[in-house]
Amino acid sequence: MADLFSPSVSTILSERDETPDTRTYQLRFRDSQEHERFVFRPGQFLELSVFGVGEAPFCLASSPTRRQFLEVTVRRTGQVTDALHALGPGDEIGVRGPCGNGFDLAAAEGHDLLFIAGGIGLPPLRGLIWNILDERDRFGRVTILYGARTPTDLVYKDELQLWQGRDDIELFVTVDQAEPGWEGNVGMVPILLEMAELRPASTLTYVCGPPIMIKFVIQDLLMRGFAEERVISTLERTMQCGVGKCNHCCIGHLYVCRDGPVFNYRQIREMVE
Amino acid sequence: MRPDDALSIAREDLPEWLALLGTRAQMIAPTSGPHGDVFYSPVSSPDEILWEFENSLQPPKRFLLPQTDPLVKIHSDGGRFHLEPVCDDRRQILVNLRSCDLKGLLYLERVHTYDLPDPSYLRRSENRSLVSLACTEPCPPGFCICCDAGPFLRHGFDLQMTMLSDRMFVEVGSDKGRSLLEGAESMFRPATPDEIAKREALEAAARDHFKTETCHFGSAMRRISTGRVAEELWEAMGDWCLECGGCTLICPTCYCFSVKDRRVDEGWVRCRTWDSCQYAAFTLEASGHNPRPGRKDRMKRRFFHKVSAQYYQRDGDVGCVGCGRCIKVCMGTTNMPAVVEAIRKGEWHG
Repeated sequence: MADLFSPSVSTILSERDETPDTRTYQLRFRDSQEHERFVFRPGQFLELSVFGVGEAPFCLASSPTRRQFLEVTVRRTGQVTDALHALGPGDEIGVRGPCGNGFDLAAAEGHDLLFIAGGIGLPPLRGLIWNILDERDRFGRVTILYGARTPTDLVYKDELQLWQGRDDIELFVTVDQAEPGWEGNVGMVPILLEMAELRPASTLTYVCGPPIMIKFVIQDLLMRGFAEERVISTLERTMQCGVGKCNHCCIGHLYVCRDGPVFNYRQIREMVE
Repeated sequence: MRPDDALSIAREDLPEWLALLGTRAQMIAPTSGPHGDVFYSPVSSPDEILWEFENSLQPPKRFLLPQTDPLVKIHSDGGRFHLEPVCDDRRQILVNLRSCDLKGLLYLERVHTYDLPDPSYLRRSENRSLVSLACTEPCPPGFCICCDAGPFLRHGFDLQMTMLSDRMFVEVGSDKGRSLLEGAESMFRPATPDEIAKREALEAAARDHFKTETCHFGSAMRRISTGRVAEELWEAMGDWCLECGGCTLICPTCYCFSVKDRRVDEGWVRCRTWDSCQYAAFTLEASGHNPRPGRKDRMKRRFFHKVSAQYYQRDGDVGCVGCGRCIKVCMGTTNMPAVVEAIRKGEWHG
């Protein structure tokens, strides 16, 4: 990033509704050379701007192994996301990044991998999941546990079906409240831990979701013998600059935008607010 | 001090030299406002510059970090956007900076150089020359001596001036400082041993002035860094905070900011604007969750950033230059020395 604060103009290629308030956008830098040059790791994030409205951070939901476009999944909750939801294919937005540390893929090599996501917590893990599936041989067993409030709130419904059909992944899905036509599991995410075959000694676990879910899931994992260093999560904070300068996202002396957003549970436990 | 770094100039020659500098760059100096308040502002003549003054309430940081700092111009042409980074390439010479304020600017330079350097800040700082006027009579609320930020500086300045009776003692601290003497060589001569001795005596006398205004960071730092400050103490101090953000706005080392798009003419300009960690909305998330919901949480944050060993290690200094402005500004008395003392003693005066 030559200039820390200058975004690059990017074009929205397409949009897809995930839930009534959440949408996935496919983006491409307007300058195709810039698009080719852009490299990132799963777990990193972008600062997206709607020009004239402002900027906000969003995790990259696509995998670096799939380079035609970048994907972000956006829930409508504030000024920038409201404005973003008013845009569509062909519209231009600003992209700055990649920001943050991202997941350490090399450290995951050869391990069994367990993904646990709740609601809108799946997008930060999705890029990592696809990266791993695209390089499947490098990794051990892949297990995905996903839950949402209702079947309507599940994101990436097509992909969940796709993953369900693969024999090199185990996928378990649950909802807190069923809706007519739902024949799957009903209950909070931790119930899925009862269903999956867990191997604490050989597994790296990636947890992402609402704080309350993260809290219960991690307690559960620790009781089952998972080591703190092998439970990995991504943190969220209000951010402005995304480059460790503005001080909005600090936890103690750590900057979620630079030192994170990916931390293991031991680091998270030792943080001093 | 190397001999060729110590010079002196007759005080009656100062206006001529400064007028010469004024032809090369915009001169920023302490001036007297309409009601007698002191402000650092652009001057067009050396006559406007104050030489004996109580330091301004607003630190001169705004000449490096403006309250609203344009970063990128944005305009739209039928739905296609064009962006243009904004550069501030104006040459400015800041004269008669107080030692504490110059030290504050060095701190800001470090935080903008650390990790990912910030080109927009550094470009501006390259174009600024910093000339300080050493404090021979320290100001009453100041405690710069506890922060290694005065009353005299040992390094960091481009030029440091010390007022002797009929001459001005000038120390050169950088090549940029030396370049300020170009074209005025005839006015300067090497300082005499007598002048050097006088300057040393003035510094020693100034240091002796500090009797009661002190701020003992050591034990506060140990407690803050390890989380050994009682929650009830933060709560008691937080109760006194009025959440005005004044302490952060007048602090020479505070630089928290937000990024906003402002409408101008046919487009927008993306700006960095001062913000304050003491405002509740500073950490408010779109979901409504706020990780620092209480005043005590925000006060804890401020003093962790200023005084913790973690930040000391990163920045090489405490985030305080002892200027005493927070003592003047804070209506809730939660200023730096008061909080540091409360942490040290384990009790709040309230």
